[in-house]
Amino acid sequence: MHAVKATNKRMSKEQWLAYGLLIPTLLIFALFMFWPFVYTIYLSFFDWNMVKPTKEFVGFQNYIDVLSDPNTYKVFGNTFLYIVLLLIINCSIPYVFAFILDLVLKRYKNFYKGAMFLPSVISLVVGSILFTWILNPVSGPVAIILDWFGVEMPIWSKMDGWVIVVLSLITSWKVFGYNFIVLYASINGISREIIEAAKLDRVPLWKIFFHIVLPMSGATGIYVLIITIVQGLQYVFTPIKVITQGGPNYASANAIYHAYHEAFVLYRTGHSAALSILTMAIFITLLILEFKFVERGVHYEN
Amino acid sequence: MKTSRFKSIPWHIVFMVTIVILIFPIIFAIGMSFKPLEDAYNNTINFLPIHPTLENYLTFFDSMDVLKITSNTFIIASVVTFFKVITSFLAAYAFVFLEFKGKNTLYFLLISMIFIPFSITMIPNYLVISDLGLSDSIWGVILPQLADAVGIFLLRQSMKTIPTSLIEVARLDNLGHARIMKDIVLPLVKPAITSTGIWFFILSWNEYVWPVLILKTVDNYTLPLALQMYISSEGGTNFTVAMAVAVITMIIPLTLYLMFQKYIIGTFTSSGIK
Amino acid sequence: MKSFLKLFSLISLAFVLTACGNSSDSTDKDSSSKGEKTVIEYWHVNAETQGGKTVEELVKAFNEQSETTEVVAKYNPDMYKGLMQNLQAEAAAGKSPAVVQVGWSFLDYFSNNFSYISPQEVIDQHFKDDSTFIKDNFLENVMDLAKNSEGTQVGIPYSLSTPVLYINRSLLKEAGLNENGPQTWQEVQEFSKVIKEKTGKHGFYMQEPADNWATQALLESNGARMLTDGKATFASKDGIEAYQLLADMINKDKTALHLPWDQGVQSFIDGNVAMAYTTIARRSQIQQNVKFDVAAVKSPAWEGKEVRLPAGGAMLAITAQEEKQQKSAWEFMKYLYSVESMAKWTEGTGYVPPRKDVAEAENGLKAYLEENEMMKAAVEQMDGVVPWTSFPGDAGLQAEQLLLDTRDEILGGKVSVDEGLKSTEEEINQLLK
Repeated sequence: MHAVKATNKRMSKEQWLAYGLLIPTLLIFALFMFWPFVYTIYLSFFDWNMVKPTKEFVGFQNYIDVLSDPNTYKVFGNTFLYIVLLLIINCSIPYVFAFILDLVLKRYKNFYKGAMFLPSVISLVVGSILFTWILNPVSGPVAIILDWFGVEMPIWSKMDGWVIVVLSLITSWKVFGYNFIVLYASINGISREIIEAAKLDRVPLWKIFFHIVLPMSGATGIYVLIITIVQGLQYVFTPIKVITQGGPNYASANAIYHAYHEAFVLYRTGHSAALSILTMAIFITLLILEFKFVERGVHYEN
Repeated sequence: MKTSRFKSIPWHIVFMVTIVILIFPIIFAIGMSFKPLEDAYNNTINFLPIHPTLENYLTFFDSMDVLKITSNTFIIASVVTFFKVITSFLAAYAFVFLEFKGKNTLYFLLISMIFIPFSITMIPNYLVISDLGLSDSIWGVILPQLADAVGIFLLRQSMKTIPTSLIEVARLDNLGHARIMKDIVLPLVKPAITSTGIWFFILSWNEYVWPVLILKTVDNYTLPLALQMYISSEGGTNFTVAMAVAVITMIIPLTLYLMFQKYIIGTFTSSGIK
Repeated sequence: MKSFLKLFSLISLAFVLTACGNSSDSTDKDSSSKGEKTVIEYWHVNAETQGGKTVEELVKAFNEQSETTEVVAKYNPDMYKGLMQNLQAEAAAGKSPAVVQVGWSFLDYFSNNFSYISPQEVIDQHFKDDSTFIKDNFLENVMDLAKNSEGTQVGIPYSLSTPVLYINRSLLKEAGLNENGPQTWQEVQEFSKVIKEKTGKHGFYMQEPADNWATQALLESNGARMLTDGKATFASKDGIEAYQLLADMINKDKTALHLPWDQGVQSFIDGNVAMAYTTIARRSQIQQNVKFDVAAVKSPAWEGKEVRLPAGGAMLAITAQEEKQQKSAWEFMKYLYSVESMAKWTEGTGYVPPRKDVAEAENGLKAYLEENEMMKAAVEQMDGVVPWTSFPGDAGLQAEQLLLDTRDEILGGKVSVDEGLKSTEEEINQLLK
């Protein structure tokens, strides 16, 4: 009886402490995230452009408009294509690279680590302007070199598919190194004994990767997975805006760019709000799935 | 062990090729920043300057107070990073080591904000900042950025790998939460703090969409904003000056990284976490 | 670890100190000047490559001579679209700058949604002496550019540009063509073929920004009209014929390039494309960087037809809400429209002066124009200038976007010109209803 009371008391003290620790975050979030979010839900039921004196209530019309617009599906398709490409280039490949650097390579380690990280410090705006030059299909250095071999460079910025691949590569150029370093550190932190033992037993490399390294660096792996998805959604925005403005005919627009386009180019706040809410709904669903299935398989100490 | 050395050669080649691809644009940018614009147009393939010039840098230094702008950028990025790390650390600690009502819902709510499009937050945030009288001030740029879901996420991931038994023992020893945080958790999650810290710093250093909206006078500009002054769709982009600004912009984060690379990697690897 | 922290805090300290030092300076300045002068904001889009320095000089010179007004200039990246975005946020916060540059394609959107005051009204209220300033100094057809679709005078034209044809004389010579360039669009097509054949280079590039400015010049010069009585009419026979020529050059002849704007101009400058159809505002970029014999010639016409060139650039509008600010706004604008300021503006930006007499005046551009052959083409073709069509109503910007989407489809060879233009016209008319 006494003991239960004591834990209860401790519980409530702990509760207060927990809320106390969360307050700074919650304050900032409430002001700068939650309230705009709620406001956006509200706006998604109105026809408005943020400046007109009157807003007109339209019910679900914005959602109906957005869902019946074929461009919406095109844009969501593009969004997932971006994410898939980035997951391959920015999550899987760095994972393998980090593993190889840690286990296979002995020399030039520091050089590799340093050099790969360099592009990470550069902004995507700079990256986008740079690649507009480097990849100019007529006058850029890459086009000139291809020309020596008689290859004509495709006009990638005006071609469906190509444009997404190139914009993904530009984004990857910036983020690759960071993901690589974070994954390398995590793999490097795995106890050497297990790996050495496996090596002595002549376990093939791919098995070491899948059975030992992947599960034991899972916590970091999930972090990289999540930020890669965020990159595919949020960061791709900059090269899209600088290089293609979503063109040709929405072939390079992703969900975030399209929401921006609706809100600040066409000034259809209601459409933009509805689109944003739908985008968030999709990604939050994915997040729930991640929590339910992926995280379960991860190796945590407790 | 001879076989393993043999096996490593193709991998060395793969790494070298990757690095050439990753580094070439940087060398290209640096080369261009020392070229006259005319040369940049007419001799793109030869990315090393034949007639090196400081003209582009001088143009930039002449038209703006570069030291002021750099220090603005530095203050914004440092303050943002510092507070983001603290708020994320405190929140993550609560989520991992404390029990309270609504914990999972709250965590989920916070994390889902990772996916919020900035087109949602832009105008409402501007209204708040403007009401607080902080428009055209670097504090207006800083304020909305003081907490971050990605940070909470990563630090929680990292704290979850700490054995609960460790914390329980400490609790039995009557150690307060403040001591546990400082003496047990903090050292163990240092690598995670370092990697989020770097992430935040770079992100904030290069941010321009939000500062464009808030900052008006040139003296309050940040480096990425200064870059925007040389980009114009109608008048054309002054590529070489833009590259000079880009080089100046990358110098500080790059030097910081190169100087502390050993320490950063060291923190990652020396931690006792498995 | 310790050395890391030490060094880091040292650097931070250094920066904070410089920042504080500087900021205390600036507050001193503010408080001393704010006492008597009205401070107003002037929003512009002029990057350093597009007259940014001139804006700075003009504002500085104005502030030095004015006893009543202090102007603070704010640069808005991403052109008139970027400015409009920032203005939207500012308006939502219940504030507004005093003077803004409004791009022509935003004329209707701006006048429908933001509160502004016509300059003439401010003049009539406070500046009796200036009551005929606008009438005396601006041509009527130029002032018409700043009227919205209801005929209200929203602002005063400030930056005027027209599309010209830049030609690479050296390449034309090499191909054995007339060095003075083509006069008609049919000739442009012919020239391009010859260039491709003889030199292996590309013949032609027409600018492709996120607007339909150049398209309008091409179509309307052939007799088509973007808009007739509030309805889209660009898919007429003439319109389709004109667009077909461009599409053919890209897809059939393969003599023209289909590239984003910056890349296209880059390819002209380095000699890969012989002719580029783009704004006179690019003059200084092109002139300063080419290594061949370059010239700018007047916009090509269609055989036997008159050219119609949409005006590019912007007007100045007054968005100040308080009387005091409005007064200051006009004082500043009047300064900007003086012959000397206009001349400086043209020299710094390459825009054509909207005001009468500037081109000929001794204290204006006389000497400058004599030296700058390339500006001549733009000044000479000013009588062919018409307003840049901005589609009316709330859906105007969306209509503009639809036409843009079709450009990608047509020039990408995905739909025929006929089908693309007709279906877009229909869609736009649905929207505008």
